Amino acid sequence: MKSKEFDNILDECLERLLVKGETIEQCLQSYPEQAAELEPLLRTALAAGKAVDFQPRPEFRAKARYQFRAALREMEGGGRHSLFGWFPRWATSVAIVLVVLVAGSGTVAAASNSMPDSPLYSVKLATEQVRLVLTPSPLGKAEFCASLADRRVEEILYAAGKGNPRQVERVTRELDVCLTRLSSLASSQGEKGGVTLAPAPAPAEVAPESTDGGERTYSHGNNQLKLKLALKHHAQSHPAALREKLKTVPPSTRAALLRAIAVSEDGYEKALKALD
Amino acid sequence: MQNEESLVQRARQHDQEAFAQLYEEYFDKIYRYVALKIGDRTEAEDMTQQVFVKALRSISSFRWKGRPFSAWLFRIAHNLIVDHLRKRSRRATVPLAESMPAGDGDPQQAVERRLDIDRLALATRHLTEAQREVISLRFAGELPIAQVARVMGKNEGAIKALQHSAIAALRRALRTQGNEE
Repeated sequence: MKSKEFDNILDECLERLLVKGETIEQCLQSYPEQAAELEPLLRTALAAGKAVDFQPRPEFRAKARYQFRAALREMEGGGRHSLFGWFPRWATSVAIVLVVLVAGSGTVAAASNSMPDSPLYSVKLATEQVRLVLTPSPLGKAEFCASLADRRVEEILYAAGKGNPRQVERVTRELDVCLTRLSSLASSQGEKGGVTLAPAPAPAEVAPESTDGGERTYSHGNNQLKLKLALKHHAQSHPAALREKLKTVPPSTRAALLRAIAVSEDGYEKALKALD
Repeated sequence: MQNEESLVQRARQHDQEAFAQLYEEYFDKIYRYVALKIGDRTEAEDMTQQVFVKALRSISSFRWKGRPFSAWLFRIAHNLIVDHLRKRSRRATVPLAESMPAGDGDPQQAVERRLDIDRLALATRHLTEAQREVISLRFAGELPIAQVARVMGKNEGAIKALQHSAIAALRRALRTQGNEE
């Protein structure tokens, strides 16, 4: 028998086996003369088919779907818009600098403690972007991003407490951007190969410093090790706080909060991996 | 799913819902294809997302012309994997088997399934690149022969022959593993 014919028979049997759900025996009955050669190949193919029948992790699936939907919206909207409507975000940042220079920092200071339901919240976000741009070193930027992630989680908890899923989603997008940037900055630190990290103690042993506003900040003298310890602490405390909140939020907010948990867990995992 | 061609047409015209349906249809298949080829959970997750973001950005340039959407999408995945493997860093990987859910069902079955995936991933390393591609597209991507041929730029006869040799090589590799254990 020609090899080409056998290739066709094998392919037909694979279709029957893998797509139509027939048994190996049914296929072999159709081709008794080729049965001896077909059977071992079909058994191997069936085993391979079963082995690859695995599913993505549910939390990854949820996070990926959320991010894809966000990307779809972004494409549709032609980019992210800010407080100033049609202004792109960088323009808002420039505007904030000008506002600070010309009119003083009163508005900016007032915005610094605003929550997502405040009209000043966009000013707060834009001001953070300015601070980030003006922070000189990648390590400094990474430390600042870590403190921003802490703020975002507080804001998500606040919005969830108010039963506002749209605001939870909005801040979750900001958290995602923040953690992605953190990973990128951490990765650039890792590539430089500057500081060799000692084995880290358990997160509970060393927590980041807290300021009176509840925001964790990092002094200039902090190094990569301290950043890593802080991230390890956040990697546990943030998802834990969000999960705790899940017990008390209304059903309409649960899905948004679950996505925030997935973003938080995944973001810190990647950032820590990038630092290794 | 609605007629795929009409969905793709709508997606090209920035219909979010149409693209979302295509995404749901292909997400698991692309993930499994990427995971089997890369053999690392975290990297496979990142890359699966990249595939869809790239598809989203390029959909306006897609022309049906007899080439199905799936072939185009898997081609994007293939190209990203090639780039990725070329640049692959030395960072530690998370074995594919760890992506298997362990909490549900019979623990013994879960363990056996993990062993199956590990064995399969290991065995595919003994295949040629083309054989590995056929196995990944056919079994993980669940593509029919005609579409595998489209992705790989070969005729169906050549792909059937490659499929035959790939399964035979896989069988030999799995038997060798069995003898070594």
